Formats: sequence, structure tokens, C-alpha cells
Amino acid sequence: MIDIQNLGMSYPMEAGELDVLVDVNITIADGETVAIVGPSGSGKTTLLILLAGLEKPGQGSIVLDGTDITRLDGDTLADIRRDSLGIIFQSFHLVPSLTALGNVSLPLEIAGRGGARARAREMLARVGLADRESHYPAQLSGGEQQRVAIARALVHAPRLVLADEPTGNLDLHTGAKIIDTLFGLNEETGSTMVLVTHDNEIARRCRRVFQLRDGRLVEDGDNALPG
Amino acid sequence: MRFLAELAWRDLRASGRSLWVFCACLVLGVTLVAGTGGLYRLINAGLLADTRVLLGGDLEVESEEPLPDRALAWMRERGDVSLVTEVDTMLGTTGDEFLRVELQAMDSLYPLYGNLVLGPDLPLAEATASADGRWGAALDAALAERLGLEVGEDIHVGELTMRVRALVLEQPDRALSADWRGAPVLVSDAALAASGLLQAGSVADYDYRVRTALPAEEWQQAFHAAFPDEAWEVRTFEDRSRRIAERLDQLASGLLIIGFSTLFIGGLGVFNSIQAYLQGKLKTMATLRALGLRNRRLAAVYLLQVAILSGGASVVGAAIGTALALAGAGIIAAEVPLATNLASLVAPALVAAGFGLVTAYAFALPAIGRALAVEPASLFRGGFGRAARPPAGWWLAALACAALIVSLVLLALPDTAFGGGFLLTVGLLLLLLDLVVRGIRRAARRLDDHPWLERRFALRLAVANLHRPGTPLRAALLSLGSALTLLVACTLVVAALLRTINNTIPAESPALVLYDIADRQLADVVAAIEASPGPARVETTPLVRSRIVAINGRALDELPHLDSEQRRDASQDDYDLSYSAGNIDDVSLAAGDWWHEDSVDSPRLALEDYEAGQLDLAVGDVITFGIAGDTLEATVDAIFSQKGIQTRFWFEGIVSDGALEGLVSRHVGAAYMDDAAALAAQRRVGAIAPNVITVRTAALLASARDILGKAAAGLAVVAGVSLLASLLVLISVMAAGRTRQVYDATVLHSLGTRMAVIRRSLHLEYLLLALVTSAFAVLLGSAVALPLLNLRLRLPSDDLLWLGAVTALAVSGLSLWLGARYLLRRLRLRPAVLLRGAN
Repeated sequence: MIDIQNLGMSYPMEAGELDVLVDVNITIADGETVAIVGPSGSGKTTLLILLAGLEKPGQGSIVLDGTDITRLDGDTLADIRRDSLGIIFQSFHLVPSLTALGNVSLPLEIAGRGGARARAREMLARVGLADRESHYPAQLSGGEQQRVAIARALVHAPRLVLADEPTGNLDLHTGAKIIDTLFGLNEETGSTMVLVTHDNEIARRCRRVFQLRDGRLVEDGDNALPG
Repeated sequence: MRFLAELAWRDLRASGRSLWVFCACLVLGVTLVAGTGGLYRLINAGLLADTRVLLGGDLEVESEEPLPDRALAWMRERGDVSLVTEVDTMLGTTGDEFLRVELQAMDSLYPLYGNLVLGPDLPLAEATASADGRWGAALDAALAERLGLEVGEDIHVGELTMRVRALVLEQPDRALSADWRGAPVLVSDAALAASGLLQAGSVADYDYRVRTALPAEEWQQAFHAAFPDEAWEVRTFEDRSRRIAERLDQLASGLLIIGFSTLFIGGLGVFNSIQAYLQGKLKTMATLRALGLRNRRLAAVYLLQVAILSGGASVVGAAIGTALALAGAGIIAAEVPLATNLASLVAPALVAAGFGLVTAYAFALPAIGRALAVEPASLFRGGFGRAARPPAGWWLAALACAALIVSLVLLALPDTAFGGGFLLTVGLLLLLLDLVVRGIRRAARRLDDHPWLERRFALRLAVANLHRPGTPLRAALLSLGSALTLLVACTLVVAALLRTINNTIPAESPALVLYDIADRQLADVVAAIEASPGPARVETTPLVRSRIVAINGRALDELPHLDSEQRRDASQDDYDLSYSAGNIDDVSLAAGDWWHEDSVDSPRLALEDYEAGQLDLAVGDVITFGIAGDTLEATVDAIFSQKGIQTRFWFEGIVSDGALEGLVSRHVGAAYMDDAAALAAQRRVGAIAPNVITVRTAALLASARDILGKAAAGLAVVAGVSLLASLLVLISVMAAGRTRQVYDATVLHSLGTRMAVIRRSLHLEYLLLALVTSAFAVLLGSAVALPLLNLRLRLPSDDLLWLGAVTALAVSGLSLWLGARYLLRRLRLRPAVLLRGAN
């Protein structure tokens, strides 16, 4: 489903080019859950940004369902995110001007699909927020906001879910519940999931785990779920 | 404290130009308040400094006939008496141009107060004496310039050819209305007598000015007591002061209200701009608090910054306003005697600056309170500084400032009733606005879930932005909405007046209107007009001046329901009576019916509604009029309304045909022809009947257009300043909302929304705002303008609403479209920051 070949990314710095990703190669099959772990500054987020088509890599290719997304224009990339991707941010990034229901139905409405609100209501009920659908993000707690964000990322049953430190802004107890919700729903939708985390406990719940060190990606079979 | 002041100053300097809207809004508001307040003070000081000079005496006794010797003897025992005889007539030039003027013949005591300055510097008696076979005349300088006349040239007045011997450079009692009612031409008593203008039936005013050591009121009472049966009008200089002061107070209050409104609208800009500024300072605040700076000292830093900014802006606004007041006074000084006294401008400038400071604090305090209520911990956790409610203390302080503003408005406005009305209107407006905003938000919220919006994603986003928390709806309605309201009201009034002028075309209205045709001249004047080569039609009707002596058979002083003022007004007021003459003045009936002329057995009367209201008269009442020693008794059959500003003759009563038989000495008339023929007819009438006043409609319309053009320009400036202030507020709203818009757009783009859809949604959001704002402005603007037009000016204008709507839509659409363009140009999205920012 995802085939990344020779992916490289560097940023210009005063002292010269800073290599963030170096020759990354990985193939992820449909329905797999993949954790990317590594210290701060190792390039985890950059990899996620490139997978989401939000920036262009320096070199290499990212082939998603047979299409090299590194060669697409902004609008086509937006369409791919709309139809095939769900993104969960560490800081939730809900649209403050929309209610919980409005936020969850966004991906369906952007795609112009019918029955968006009904489906969004269903999804909100699945994350336990049926009674908060008319609340704005500012009226929700951090945990509730992240549950809305998960519902939003999965409501259109995307082929690929990208999750960036989904519990990073939450306390331990709330974080554990959120992860349960995320993995539970993902299993139901059968989406492929790439999850960036610091937390080895969370990484261990994934089928495959990769370590990013100095821009290089290495598979860590010991910490993955037993095959 | 020194540390705090330095910190405040350094922090402010580092903030660059982020607070320019704060300053600009205050400068605009303070400028208008200082400018109008200063101008009012200057005019007030100029006009009210010595109204004895403006009136020409301590008192003035006015009569249409010379006073009898016994009255003059009584007056001369109690002071100096100077007589000015005034006659309205036409002045003709050797080039056959005719213009309405006011002839004034003065005796040797004139002026009792002030100085008359002629150029060349001659005594008045010498300038108006007969020499070289010509009587002399001193011409008002403005009139001479208008007609292109110079000293030494000849003019025609009545039956005389006179010579201009001097120009009047300064006349202490020159009427404020001289420029449109007839400029003064000073002649001698003998010349006036020789002009043939003073004959039986002529309209002349005999003004006896009195200089007395007695208090004017006491003199007036003694005069009324000595001559209780006479209807001579007596005015004191204090009456005049009171009347001028009332008018001035109303005018100044109106102008100041516009200033206060602008300051109020600007206050919203202050609030938005300081809120956006403080939002950017949240991290600095959190850092300072984390470093141990107490809340109270931190508050002092930002309160000091407000003091520095609002102090500076208020001083600049007050200075500009004062300069504008001086410039305005310079323009007005050409018409009205004004002494420019810089000291009198200090108080209005200080008051305006005070208003600026208090307004800034009233609007800034809640924003500072809210910023200080944000917990520093939440900032360090990377939150967005979620808005908190400011503590009660801050609200109370803001309310105290608001109360201070209310008291200052009431103190500063010369007309307290006006001030109270203004505050009440603002209160009602805010209440109405709140209801409208709630209604729109509720409707938008309901629409949010509507199936119709299901596949209209951009529109759904735009609708959502109308009801989300922190929507700019209220600020946009209040700022742009109030400025547009003013604009719509001005547009409707100006358009209605312009339409009236443009519709007054010779085919439907007379090309020439004639006043003061003596009975003996009637046939000749009609013949002179009908001698026109083209088609010409003349209609004339008698005009008889009368006074009411009794109502329903009882003398005025026997009528218990009238108070003394009503009695005096009724007995001293002139009532112009005429025949219907085919409804020559186009009046409309408000009550009762017209009589059938051929079946009338006793005199019937239609009375003007205003006069009927003054004396509580109704259909069926019988009125006895006194007319030059005779009486006429007529029954009220109808009450009529004047057409308004198009009324030409302004009859107070229309009687059945024949009722004025034997009482008629003057006529008025209207001639229908083209303007070129009217000009020729005017010359022919001027040659055979120089006392007859002729007004060409075309000339009248030209001067009306000129006046309206100036008024429209003035209104445009006022509405423009108000609009500018509101645009600044909008800019501040957009600046405050820009971060949010960019953030929303970034999230949407990262979720797969194309940029074109984001742009469309932004345009739709602003279009919805423009529609709502325009609807608000049209409703409120027409609620202000239409009653004024329908009831006061009597110009039904409901059909002009479309013009108000188009104006509001065009201006709000353009303003908001520019805003959307501005925002879109800055909408460079980098969705990757959403991921990067979190890590």
C-alpha cells in the first residue's frame, strides 16, 4: 500500500545542510499498524509530514496505492488527504468555529458525501461524546478534544491514518483511554495506521515498530507485536 | 514605579505599529468632538457676545405702519429711538438684471449699537443723499459682487434710478438670512418716499430700535401695559439671545452627537486592537508573572501603556480638532461676526481629550482584565491562552468609565434633552443590536444542520462562522452598521430633495412666481406677462393679510382654553388669506371637505393645520378676522396641509370666492412659460411695476441645487469620517480574527480542503456579513430618514428605499470585499506547522 524508497530530506542551516531523513526505505501493507519511535529531533514528524503530502521531500519517492505523491500538485494532494487520509495531531487542531459534530463531519462534507451529519453523530457516539455534539472545542476538555479528533480522523474510513503523538498533551490515565479508543476504532475500520510516539508501551501495541536515529529508519522487531 | 514605567515604555516601543488602529480610532473621534465643540464655542461667543448689536437696540418694536405720535412720545421718554424702515423689492441693474433686495431707510441715530462701515468711508447720510440728480444708495458688498456692481454705477429701485455711492463693508445688525431673503440696500427716508414703493397696500416693516437704561423686560411689560390693545410686536435682545442660543445649541448638539458616535464606534476599534495586542503579549505576561511580577504591578504596566497611547492620540486629536474649528470659523466669519478667541478653544480641546482618555479606558479595561485572567501555566503548556472572563473588578472599573462618559456627554452637550435622547438612542440601539445578533446566531445555528447545506460545504462553513463563539458579527454590525445607517439616512434625504428639485420642472410648476402685486397694477402685470411671444398662462389670486380677533364669537382674551402666550401669538400673527384659485398652492386636505363655490351662502374657510393646532381649532369653528379696520367672519369647513418645501405662497387660510370682496389690495400670481420667456417677462414687470417681487423658478432651483450640493458635500464628509472610523474598527476586527482565519484554513487544508473552497468560504462569510449589515443599516437608516422626509419635509419617499439598500449593499460589499482580499493575500498556508508546532 505504501512504498517509500530512498527518501531523503534536509533543511538549510547556517552551518550547512541538516539531514533530517537519510535514505529511508519502508513498505507498509494494507491494514498494518506501524509505530515510529525515536528521540526528539530524530525526524519522526518530518516523515509524517511527507507521508501526509504536506511538504515535498529532497529526494526519493512515496508511492501510495500506486501513485507517487511526491509528484502531485497541491490540489491533488488535498484530494488524497480528503479521500484516503486521516490525521490525528498531538494538539488536536479542531476547528474552533465548528461544534464537535461539525468537526467530525468535516471530512465527509469536504468530500461532499451525503448523510455526513448522521455518520458523524454515529462516530461521536462511538467515542462516547454523543451528548457533547453541539459543544465547541473551547468547551471540551483535552481528552474530549482528542476523542473528537480521532472520530474526525476515522469517520470517512480512510485507507491510512497518521497519528502524531496522540497522547502527548494528555495525562497518563486519559492517554491510555484515548489509545484504547484509537486502536479499537482502527481495528474496526481496518485502516493502515502510522503512529509517531515516544512511548514504547504504545509502540508495542503496533504490528511493526521502527526506530528513527539520525535520520535513518531501522525496524525494531523486539518491541513489535508478535507476528 | 520608575521600573514599571520604563518597562511599559520599552515594551510599547518593541511592539512597533501594532496599535495604530487604537490610535487612529481615538484621533478621529477626539478630532470631531474637539472640532465641533470648538466651533460651537467660537460661534456662540461671536453671536451671543452682544446681541444688542445684532438686534440694533435693547428692544425692537415692529409694526407694519408708522407708530402713532403718542406711542413714539412714550418711547422717547424712556430711551433713544431709531427707526429703520424696511421694504422688500426688486433691484434692477442697467444690464436689466433683477434681484430681490431689502431696502432699508435709516434715521440719523442709526446704529444705536455697533458701527456701520462703508467703503469709501462716508457718513451714511452723505452716501444716501441726493447729488448730481441721483439719490445715493449703499449696497451690501456681497450683493454688489453678485451683480457685478461698483461704486458710481446706477441701479433701478422702484420708480427711481439711484447711484451706488458706497458699499456696506460692515453692518452690525445684518440679518443672518440676508443672503437668501434679500440683501440690504441702504437708502434715505426721502429716497424711499420718492421711490413710490410706500403706497397703500405696500408691505413695509417699521422697526423702532430702542436704547434704554431700564431692564429690557421691564420696558417691554410697561409698553404692553401702556398700549394693551395694540398688536405691535416687541422683542428684547434677550429674546433674540434666547432664540439664537436655542438654535445654536440644537445645531451644536447634533454635530457633537456625530462626534460622540464616532468616538463610540472608535472605542470598538480600541477594544479590538488592544485585545489583539494583548493576545500577542500573553507569553510576555506569563513570563513576567513566572519571574515574580505581581498581578497588580503587571496591570500597572499595561494601564500605563494605555495612558501613553490614549494620551498621545487624544492630544493629537484635540490639536487637529482645534485647527479645524479655527479653519471652520474662518469660513463662517464671512457670514457671521466672529471674533477668533484662542482662549475659548482651550476648554473644548481639554474636554475632547478627556473624552478620548476615558473612552480608551472604558474599552481597554475589560481586555486587560481578560488577558491578566489567563493562567500562566496554561500558556506554558502550549495552549492558545483560552479566553477567560475578566474579574469583576475590571468590569466595574470599565462601568465606572462608562458612567463618567455618560455624565460628561450630558454636561458637554449644550442641549440636555438632545444629550438624553442620544444616550437613550444608543442604549436602545445596543439592545436592538443584541437582539438582532442573537436572532441571527440562532437562525444560523438552526440552518447549520439543515439538509439544504449538506453538499454546500463552503456555505456551511460561512454560516458556521456567523454563530460560532467570538464571531465578528456584533462588531461588524455595530461599527459598519452604524456608519452605514448614517450613510443610508443621508442618501435618502439628499436623494429625496434632489428628486424634488429635479421634478420641479416648468411644465408642471410656474416659471415665474409673483408677490406683492398692488390691486391697481394687476391688469398691467398680467398683460406684461401675457405679452410673451410663446405660450404663457398667468394665474393670480388675492392675498389679504389679517389677524384673528375672535373665535366662535368670543374675543381671544375671553377664551379660557388659551394661555396668554397663545393669545398673544394669535393676536400678533398675520394670517394670509386667499381664494382657492384652482388650488394654486397645491395644498391637500387633512380634515373636512372643500365647499361648492356656487352653493355657498356665507364665507367658508379652509385653515392651515399648523395654525389650527396652535389654537385648537376644528371643522365647524367660526373665526373672525380683522382686516385693515374691517372684519370677516368665516366658518371652518376644512383643515389643509401645505405641500412642504415646494409651497410658494404659504397661505394660512383659503376662503370661499367673494369673501374678500372689497378687502383686497394685493395679489400673488404664478406664470407658466419657458425660462427664457420668464426672464423677459421679469424684465417687463420690473419696468412697469418695480415694487412687484418676481422670482424665477429656474434661478430658485439653481440656488437650491447649490445649497443642496454644499449640504450634500457636508453630509458626505460627516458620513465619510464615520465610515472611516468604522472601517478602522473592521480592520481591527479582521486583524484580531486573522490568526484564527489562517489557523482554521490550515486545519481545513490539512484535512483535504482545496484552497479554492477555502477562498469561496471566506468570500461567502463576508458576503453574509455584508448582507446582514446592509439589512440592518437600511432598516435603521430608513427609520431615521423616512419620518423626517414624510412628516417634517412632507416629501413621501418610501419608493426610494431601494436606493438606500443599493448604497448600503455597495458600500458594505466593497468594504468587506476589500477586507476579504486583504485577508486572502495574507493567507499563505503551511499546514506542516500543525505537526511541527506540536513537537
